[in-house]
Amino acid sequence: MDKKSVTILLQSGDLDKALCAFIFANGYASLGIDVKMWFMIWGYNCLKRRRSLFSLLGRKTDPVREGAYRVLETDNILQPMIELLNRGGVHHLPLSRLNLMGLGPFLFDKMLKKKSIMGLEELIRSADELGVAFKMCQICFDAMGISVDDLIVPNVEVKGVAEYAKDTMEAHVNLFI
Amino acid sequence: MFVDNEVNVVGKACPMPLIALAKTVRTMRQGQAVRITGNDPIFEESIVEFCREGRHEILETKREGKTVSMIIRV
Repeated sequence: MDKKSVTILLQSGDLDKALCAFIFANGYASLGIDVKMWFMIWGYNCLKRRRSLFSLLGRKTDPVREGAYRVLETDNILQPMIELLNRGGVHHLPLSRLNLMGLGPFLFDKMLKKKSIMGLEELIRSADELGVAFKMCQICFDAMGISVDDLIVPNVEVKGVAEYAKDTMEAHVNLFI
Repeated sequence: MFVDNEVNVVGKACPMPLIALAKTVRTMRQGQAVRITGNDPIFEESIVEFCREGRHEILETKREGKTVSMIIRV
């Protein structure tokens, strides 16, 4: 096996940690290294498409992604409630420190723009273009009632822990963020 | 010196030069040359690292103040 590979597991939903993970992913991918990114629990929040509150009840599926993994109907009242409190979205992530009720991320974004550092959404798009594989944890999808339609990246694979174990054993580096 | 492609990342910060260069290099054939210009403080190191990892050859390095211009054979 001569092709080098890296796995990154993003578990946190904070802006700074997601930024860290995506900067590493972009760096590795541009050096020609195979990158597989895994997302668990709050890690989805950076990939979630921001929906209006009214869409929580009557969720429609995306006809473009026919046959993709999705939870069509939530069977549990807790899932819409989680959605209500944890709406996610690239531009709505909190900081792990100095959040200041949402003022922190706003100022953080301004600072990044002023220094012409790429923002999180730009990093996600370029990671997708560079061929980073996005893999999701299936039980989190089921538990949180998320479907692949809710994510801003196409080509998402929904896999289990066996696949993660296989990927990490093959990889040279595994980052848990 | 003749180059097939130019990448200008002046004013762009850390991961951007690498990403732009990687995207350009992917569209090029072996043996072609690309010039990349940037003024990031760690620009030169990251390009040298990129070339070592991808087995590319650095043909020329020019420094003018903070701006560095490098020619790489893919």
